[in-house]
Amino acid sequence: MDADMLDAPGAQVKVTFTTTEADLQLPDEKKQLLVPADIKRYGLSRILNSELMLNSGSIPFDFLINGSFLRTSLEDYLTSNGLSLETNLSLQYVRSLIPPKFEASFEHDDWVSAVDVLSADSPAGRWSGDSFQHGNDRILTASYDGLLRIWNASGNIITTSPSAGHGGHSSSVKSAKFLSNNQLASAGMDRTVRVWKYTEASNGASGDLKPTLELYGHQGSIDSLEVDGATKRLLTASADGAIGFWSTSKASAPEADAALLPGAQTAKRRKVNTSVSAAQRGPLNLMHIHNAPATAAVFDPRDRTVAYSASQDHTVKTIDLTTGAVVNTISTSHPLLSLAAIPRAGGTPLLAAGTAARHITLVDPRASAAATSVMTLRGHTNKVVSLSPSPYNDHSLVSGSHDGTCRIWDLRSVRPATQEEGGMGSVSEPVYIIERESREGKKRTVAGEGCKVFGVVWDKLGIFSGGEDKKLQINRGQDVVQQ
Amino acid sequence: MKAKLVEKKRKSRDLESDSESDDELGNGLFDGVLSASEDEEDYIPSDQIEEDESESEGSEGSDDEADGDDDDILSDDIPSDIDGETDMDKLRRDAEELEITEPFVDPKPKDEDTEGRNYRIEKDANGGERYVYEEIDPVYDSDDSDAQGPANTIGDIPLTFYDSYPHIGYDINGKKIMRPASGDALQSLLDSIEVPKGWTGLTDINTGNPLNLTDEELELVRRVQMGLVPDGLHDPHPDTVEWFTSKQETMPLSAAPEPKRRFLPSKNEAKQVMKLVRAIREGRILPYKPPEERQREEEEKEEVHFDLWQDEEPSAPNPMHIPAPKLPPPGYEMSYNPPEEYLPSKEEREQWEKTDPEEREKDFLPQKFNSLRKVPAWGTLVKERFERCMDLYLAPRVRKNRLNIDPNSLLPKLPSPAELKPFPTVVQTIFRGHEGTVRSVAIDPTGVALATGGSDGTVRVWELLTGRQVWSVKLSSEDPVYTVRWRPTKDAFILAASAGEDIFLMVPTHSSVTPTLEKASREVLAAGFGYAANGNTPAVAPGKEPAGKWSRPGTRLEDEGVLVKITVRSTVKVINWHRKGDHLATTSPEGQRSSVAIHTLSKHLTQIPFRKLHGIAQTAAFHPSKPIFFVATMRTIRCYDLQKLELVKVVQPGAKWISSIDIHPGGDNLIVGSYDRRLLWHDLDLSNRPYKTMRFHPKAIRAVRFHRGGFPLFADASDDGSLQIFHGKVPNDQLENPTIVPVKQLKGHKVVNQVGVVDIDWHPREPWLVSAGADGTARLWM
Repeated sequence: MDADMLDAPGAQVKVTFTTTEADLQLPDEKKQLLVPADIKRYGLSRILNSELMLNSGSIPFDFLINGSFLRTSLEDYLTSNGLSLETNLSLQYVRSLIPPKFEASFEHDDWVSAVDVLSADSPAGRWSGDSFQHGNDRILTASYDGLLRIWNASGNIITTSPSAGHGGHSSSVKSAKFLSNNQLASAGMDRTVRVWKYTEASNGASGDLKPTLELYGHQGSIDSLEVDGATKRLLTASADGAIGFWSTSKASAPEADAALLPGAQTAKRRKVNTSVSAAQRGPLNLMHIHNAPATAAVFDPRDRTVAYSASQDHTVKTIDLTTGAVVNTISTSHPLLSLAAIPRAGGTPLLAAGTAARHITLVDPRASAAATSVMTLRGHTNKVVSLSPSPYNDHSLVSGSHDGTCRIWDLRSVRPATQEEGGMGSVSEPVYIIERESREGKKRTVAGEGCKVFGVVWDKLGIFSGGEDKKLQINRGQDVVQQ
Repeated sequence: MKAKLVEKKRKSRDLESDSESDDELGNGLFDGVLSASEDEEDYIPSDQIEEDESESEGSEGSDDEADGDDDDILSDDIPSDIDGETDMDKLRRDAEELEITEPFVDPKPKDEDTEGRNYRIEKDANGGERYVYEEIDPVYDSDDSDAQGPANTIGDIPLTFYDSYPHIGYDINGKKIMRPASGDALQSLLDSIEVPKGWTGLTDINTGNPLNLTDEELELVRRVQMGLVPDGLHDPHPDTVEWFTSKQETMPLSAAPEPKRRFLPSKNEAKQVMKLVRAIREGRILPYKPPEERQREEEEKEEVHFDLWQDEEPSAPNPMHIPAPKLPPPGYEMSYNPPEEYLPSKEEREQWEKTDPEEREKDFLPQKFNSLRKVPAWGTLVKERFERCMDLYLAPRVRKNRLNIDPNSLLPKLPSPAELKPFPTVVQTIFRGHEGTVRSVAIDPTGVALATGGSDGTVRVWELLTGRQVWSVKLSSEDPVYTVRWRPTKDAFILAASAGEDIFLMVPTHSSVTPTLEKASREVLAAGFGYAANGNTPAVAPGKEPAGKWSRPGTRLEDEGVLVKITVRSTVKVINWHRKGDHLATTSPEGQRSSVAIHTLSKHLTQIPFRKLHGIAQTAAFHPSKPIFFVATMRTIRCYDLQKLELVKVVQPGAKWISSIDIHPGGDNLIVGSYDRRLLWHDLDLSNRPYKTMRFHPKAIRAVRFHRGGFPLFADASDDGSLQIFHGKVPNDQLENPTIVPVKQLKGHKVVNQVGVVDIDWHPREPWLVSAGADGTARLWM
């Protein structure tokens, strides 16, 4: 390394290496170094990995200068920023990212509206406790054909939910989630939430889905379902503007409103004869708090009695679930279509809300927060309808959009907003863009036609996304964002 | 002299008789004769007239001859001269005359020589003949009218003719005048006789007698010879008679008062004098100088030159003055002894000489001289100076004043589109499924469902955000679905669609249609059947077809949710709901009288409000808040008050063919789209004429629509496949004018068979727009 430096014919730049990662700290005397000006990321990474520095083997590193990644040589960076070669550069080194490589895609009969994963590290896996056997990873997909499908990791359908005549959804399923390894919930355009009992053969090759509970209460399509396996509670957001809070146990759930039950309709329409009858229950609480379709509702990851809801009426509301009262309302400037809570160390989570205006707004739900809009993530070219935080850290998330892409964001990489972006706050751009594999590298269609992404989940197994191309696509999700 | 007068009188008498007897005489001739006689009558003793007479009176000669007057053979001169000069005095005087006046010594022969040609014939300017008479010299004392006629009447012939006769002529009485004695006989006598007193020795040529002079005559001759005054009585030195003296006479000679001119200086003279004085002062009259002297003086006078600019003050330069550009200072090459490298080579020299003087790069060739004194004069100096002057003169150095106005400041102040956000910018969802043109789009009042109707006769309902088709029904296999419109209230979920002559009312299956809502919707639709069954329908005249027939569409459609069918007389193209959802207005342009119909849902009743329409109805709409009904024909829009049943207003957009109209939710403004490519904004309070006319599309505008959810937006759809989004803010203040700013043009729809975008609709809350295109897609723009 020293030889490299000495041999370098050109100018040299004095750099200071810093890092926030505790296991990769350099001794103080080694932090400052003279490096050739034309060195690039790979060279710097090799220097850091060398025996004289970290002696860490071959960890790929990326380097942040003033919050942006170094993508050119140091010299080019200096000239483009108008700095002189004498400047002492502070280089923050972080573990390098690996592109989210495509791994597999599972074919469906219709559009895939939602995805959930059951794995050791997924919430459902944790809620399952000891009963979950390691390696029995399952993938749940909801489809517009009204069916739920459970896949194993190798792409085989273990089971499919029964059709409408047999206790299944009578219309498209818009959302589905694992409650545990033997229970799951789904909701859709038939305005019902269904709780299913999932049993699996011992060999894991086949299984069975039985409806255990039908929850009535919403008067519009249910677009979002959030579950908490620990407290056995469900949270739904519906197009009628209501947020539903439900229990998954027959005992604790109240009776359903008779007017909403399918038998209530008197007109001569096609009767749905359900051979399998499940218990029909109503909501614990149905909160008509939005005056436009509610699009998403999530639990606070820290406190399960608090929920956040997003709606097309431009607001994010904080709901106290015990009383059903709205604690705080945050207005944004665009209709919101998706919501995710990103836990923050020792505090309220940061809320990421996907908007119809093609970006993701990060809001601080605390009533005391000075600025509600923390950051804007720009890059999507269509409605952002699905968000999932990273299972690895608290500063990255993946978003799925109708433009046919999933984008991975690192909240640490920020820049000030330009004038045409509104000039306020800070803006981040995607780290990686996951295209739909079904497009086979072709140019994206106008308005994401044929390749819209409807649901995305980021688990340690990978990034699972389903969309209009009738496919569940799995991408590798490890190390795509610095820890 | 008396004889002459008598003669004249007789002549005139003859003339009178002639004129009396002979009428055939020409007047001109007669005049001339008369004038001639007049001339003779007031006789002027001048030779000229006599000569004239001798010329002009050739004709009279015959008369004179007839008189037998032998005088007339001769010219009148001589007889007149000699007429009556009988006495010798006259003769003598004549002789003296002859002697004294030398040039006229012999006028007679001259007259005779020029007899008939006492004039010269000259050519005048026209080439004709011109008679030029010699100037007549009237000799002094030519007036011989008093002279006696000559004693001898032989005329003007020499006496030598009579030498052989004893007489020398005849006197006036015809008696012979005998020759006086002469010759030797007399000589002897004379010798013997003392020369008588007054004898001169001359012979009177007329009488032949010796010419004797009297004493007076002699005295006269002597005085003449002495150079004295001929008249002896003349006193050359008479005593002075003081007629006017300084002495005051007691009796003045004249009693007349003394005239003013005697004692007043003459003004006229003073004027004349002053004129002269002035002329002299001004130098117009110069004292006379002989020409030689004058010439000498002129030669001596020097040329004087004046310096025009000698008194010129140097003034500050004009602020607009631009000094002439300076010539570049001479370089090495202009030196008389330039360095070698500046000297042209042979090729360069040839090249220079070959090129045209106009095209030469420089107008000289550097030359080398050993010393400055060998440098010749610069040959083209004058030419160069002249060209420089011409350059400076012909290129006027004028500072031009630019009009310092920013052209942008002249534009009306409109907010920039960036400030007017939000408005739709890109297509976000494409709804594909219809075969053929999508004819109509509508977003339901809750904003979650989109209904489309297409040329394939189907009505489809879609999930708005995802583009998922959730419901579809085929209304007709032949007719396209021209229009779909949601009932504008949220208490029921009803969609109206038209296919051919039928209007269908349906309750689509949709996630938001709960059993309760569906029941409510069905009740709304079914209510009228009961009403009709109760016989409340107004009596229709027998044999007259009702305006609309309400019926159930049949089991197949009823299973799909299509519950009511209204059949009218002609193809329905436009449906518009009343805001309360009980009435809907349909327009069928081909329907003549019944082209506009109002259907009442609760009574299942169809009414035709107009007996007669002015033109072909294009569209009809309800006012958003007042009971006013708008009917647009091809050229005009009529506003009717539904309560008073009267025409309120006629709006004339000036378009040739209105395609669609929309009323601002505030109710005071109206937009009109026309097939002749215009989009017109009407302020209904302001005028019948458009407030603003906009032409943004090269093709026809098919649909216009206001946003009804609070955004000041409106849009139009054109056959060029594009949509134009406008910001159209209607201020609350009545006095202000609406602000209209085009903010975005949306392109994406393909043009199929010259048809682009057919219909548009706004989302009820958000600035989202849905468009229906001929390319078989509907698109959501946001």
